[in-house]
Amino acid sequence: MSLTFQSGTNGLIGPNGAGKTTFFNVLSGFVDPSEGSVHAFGEDLLAMPHYRRARWGVRRTFQTEQAIEELSVAGNVALAHEHSKLGDRASRRQDVLGAIEFVGLDIDPDVKVGTLGARERRLVEVARAVVGRPKLVLLDEPGAGLPDEETEHLGRVIQRIPEHMGGLVILVDHDMSLVSACCETTAVLDFGRLIATGPTADVLRDEAVMKAYLGTEEIEGSEQVA
Amino acid sequence: MPSWQEFQPFIVTGLALGGVYALSGVGMVVLYRTTGVLNLAFGAVGAMGALIAWQAINEWGWAEEPAYLVCVLFGGVVTLLYGLIFGPPLASRDPLVKATATLGLALILLGAMSWIWSDKARSMILPTSTESFQVGDVLVNYTQVLGIVFGVVVTVGTVLFLRFTKLGTAMRGLANDREITATLGVPVRRVEASAWLVSGLISGVAGLLLSNLVGLDAATLTFLVISSLAAALIARLSSVVVTLLAGFVVGLATALATPILSISEYRNMAPFVLATLALLWLSRKGHTISGRAV
Amino acid sequence: MSVAEAPRRERAAWSPARLDRGERIRAVIIVALLLLVLFALPARMSAYWTNVATQVAIFSVVSLGLGMLIGRVGLVSLGQYAVLALGAWVGARLCFATGLPFPMVLLLTGLITMVLGTLVGLPALRLSGLYLALITLMLAAAITVVLNATNFPNGGKGFLGHVENDFGNPEVRRPSIAETDPAYFRYAVIVAVVLFLIALLHVRGKPGRAWAAIRQSEPAALAAGVNITLYKLWAFALASFMTGVAGGVLAGDVGELFVQQFPTSNNIVLLAVVLMGGVYSIWGAIVAGALFKLLPALLDNWGLPADLLTILFGVGILQVLLTAPAGLVYQFPRDMKRLGGALLGLARRVGIAGGRAS
Repeated sequence: MSLTFQSGTNGLIGPNGAGKTTFFNVLSGFVDPSEGSVHAFGEDLLAMPHYRRARWGVRRTFQTEQAIEELSVAGNVALAHEHSKLGDRASRRQDVLGAIEFVGLDIDPDVKVGTLGARERRLVEVARAVVGRPKLVLLDEPGAGLPDEETEHLGRVIQRIPEHMGGLVILVDHDMSLVSACCETTAVLDFGRLIATGPTADVLRDEAVMKAYLGTEEIEGSEQVA
Repeated sequence: MPSWQEFQPFIVTGLALGGVYALSGVGMVVLYRTTGVLNLAFGAVGAMGALIAWQAINEWGWAEEPAYLVCVLFGGVVTLLYGLIFGPPLASRDPLVKATATLGLALILLGAMSWIWSDKARSMILPTSTESFQVGDVLVNYTQVLGIVFGVVVTVGTVLFLRFTKLGTAMRGLANDREITATLGVPVRRVEASAWLVSGLISGVAGLLLSNLVGLDAATLTFLVISSLAAALIARLSSVVVTLLAGFVVGLATALATPILSISEYRNMAPFVLATLALLWLSRKGHTISGRAV
Repeated sequence: MSVAEAPRRERAAWSPARLDRGERIRAVIIVALLLLVLFALPARMSAYWTNVATQVAIFSVVSLGLGMLIGRVGLVSLGQYAVLALGAWVGARLCFATGLPFPMVLLLTGLITMVLGTLVGLPALRLSGLYLALITLMLAAAITVVLNATNFPNGGKGFLGHVENDFGNPEVRRPSIAETDPAYFRYAVIVAVVLFLIALLHVRGKPGRAWAAIRQSEPAALAAGVNITLYKLWAFALASFMTGVAGGVLAGDVGELFVQQFPTSNNIVLLAVVLMGGVYSIWGAIVAGALFKLLPALLDNWGLPADLLTILFGVGILQVLLTAPAGLVYQFPRDMKRLGGALLGLARRVGIAGGRAS
């Protein structure tokens, strides 16, 4: 299978076990594929050691949110900034506070993440992923477990990432309203195969896509991924 | 370099020690695979068992056999009790925490031994040590034979047990996936308890044999666990058969360094050196990420 | 959003240079306490207690190194006491072999110990934490073996610098400004303070953030671009450095070093006191140092056997791991509060009963 994403916000959907998270793991370096190649902006990602990909500009969030509890909000965001080559020391404070503001977190940046609720932690994680002009932002079900109105807010944030923070966004989510709200184009995976790609509205109407989903669950059905 | 002649007796010594290291290593690996606990108090438990046996024979005038039995039983009971009391509350914790907790038991036993028996030198001579036979130019006693035989027999027995009995299958199941095994109706607590008990009995046997082969000293016996740990580590804490082979290698390496004057004094570093080499080998393949979130 | 907008909050806790008001007050109290320890204490202590206090200062540093590894990074080293022995060996060797000023000796001792200690940790750091714990336990035993063969330097010739001598050996020298015991106590405290500050800077800064990420979730640390192996190695190196310097101070303190001062079991005792003191706070290290050196001295004073303490430490490990992962630093005030409450309740009840009786 071959999959190419254009700049902007891209959706990646598919039923459980379709290989979406595996795809993210390959991009961010958690899994070394046995064959194949991954190129982004003319660079061979597989040639970079995993931590270096984040430095180069691949950022991701996780299905189960992974904000560092012991650190402050600013500390979490600064963590990604100070380990990347994307922003310099002088602009760190501004970049960090800017990212926190960008995701719409209206709290003291010095407060410990461990004391925050699920919504704030998600946003901290997103802020960590977008700080300092990343090249590739991978969002793995950022809306999971959030109430609808929070997901809407998140959708607006995600939509604005390419324009304001830079980079190409790939969003994996089962919430089709979130995907269709944020993504201009969407690709559909099923059992590791690409079965459709194109403008989001067209893809969601595609018959093969419906079929892939119908067998397993409804499109906006509840989500439980191990 | 000493001649072949000089090495020969140390081959037997090494094999005997290696057999006991393997025996202990297998006991620890089986417990680790079943319960997730690497019992670092293994040596301390055996040491205390041996000291109790010594006390029974030399101070209380017991016959030898019941004293030895008490030693082995002590290992079983103390280990089982530890498992019953501290196993469940620590069950969900990291293997590192579980292993560290057993050091608490090791310290308690070390303190108790030092208090009761002080650090006076003692010796334990099993009746099997008084009889020996000749192999080539080398005199072999039956305690040494016992060490080698126990190592091999326990390993083979464990392999067969794990493969062909219901309890063994349950243990293998627990090693693979606790939750699935539990939902399949395996009585997890009981399976774990039997692993604790058996591993404890083995620690008693090993303590008894080592007190004769090496010496009856609390600290020495407690930290001999390191030789067995090296064997278990070389086997990646999983393969029983590799543990046996590695046990023999550690025993032989330690013993065969004895006649070589330049390194003789450093022979007890063998477990550390071999384990380090094993770790270098294990970590040779690029990156190993221990925890996966996805 | 525009980056040009002035950030709403000027203060940012992730820059270590800034202290808020509470922290400033705490700093003042700490400095005052420190001055008290440095100038008031030595004059009031007997030679015996001065020695004990010096040892507490030394072992606070050792405990801090191990505590940081456990509490901040999530690594357990079971060979830290052996690393201390290594540091003492190197320190003594440098003292006899060179005429370097004492601070230079300490710095070099720390660096050499750091290199040696880190080499051992290197192969295990890529594997799980259990392997690091095991290999460091083996290291502890191996260092004991080596020390038994080489002994400690005592002014002899050759690389090992050891000589068997019935007429008494020269002692490891102390800095000229701190020849006497009280002066050396002050010296040890100041060295400890410097090392505590180095540790604090690490914990508050970039390495501290990377460690926190590693401890909670290696995938998250990786996704943020943290070179996990490098930062684990860094932590291990820092702990070895601190322990090495402490070993150098220890060599100057005792003067004549013996293998018997470094039994393998002390590696586990050290782990016990560090866990009991508390690994999440820098103060825990001081409590640990006191548990390790002050408590035995007190027990000895009261005529109780030291083995009792070993048992107590064993119980301590289990208690901390089961119920109080933050250690005494957090547990003790809470217990005292509870005890105070209970006593108050009791007093009230007794008072009521007494009132009724009268």
